[in-house]
Amino acid sequence: MDVSIIFKIAAIGILTAMINQILKKSDKDEIAMLVTLAGLITVLLMIINMVSQLFGSLSNLFQLY
Amino acid sequence: MEILKIIGVGLIAAVSFVALRDAKPEIAFLTAAAGCVIIALMLIDYLVEIIVTLTGIAGKVGLDGAIISSILKIIGIGYITEFAAVLCEDMGVRSVADKISLGGKIIIMFLSLPIFTALINLITGLLP
Repeated sequence: MDVSIIFKIAAIGILTAMINQILKKSDKDEIAMLVTLAGLITVLLMIINMVSQLFGSLSNLFQLY
Repeated sequence: MEILKIIGVGLIAAVSFVALRDAKPEIAFLTAAAGCVIIALMLIDYLVEIIVTLTGIAGKVGLDGAIISSILKIIGIGYITEFAAVLCEDMGVRSVADKISLGGKIIIMFLSLPIFTALINLITGLLP
């Protein structure tokens, strides 16, 4: 659980943005949309793992379960 | 020294949020959310220490377990609800943020009912 995760997410974001620009220039907009979705889903998966770990430890801590 | 790590993570998350905001707003928001989650995870072991000492003191004073555990639940719910509500507000969706905090308030109210009734019984018992 370190700063590297933020860099990974930012890198995915920049990558998808770049690929989108390239695909838009070669007018393949539907593939650009798919690339956006793919980037978003991978980032969401990473985030969901972290959030579930946080909520698990918090609910253990505060006996919320 | 831990505070420097927290500040570092927070600044990095903020900078990456602003950097990505124009190109990819949804992923930009997720970097901010990741920063919040990382900082919260860093604070967990401090929270454990605080709660262990507080429950120890409360046990010594003679509060029974039910009240302590519901107070702990209320604190936890407040913490998590605030965490989610601010994230939604950060996204710009104020209505969802308000609903989340409303839900948190109602659940806290619900959890504090037994304490409230115990207090009322105590007071009516004292009156002649």
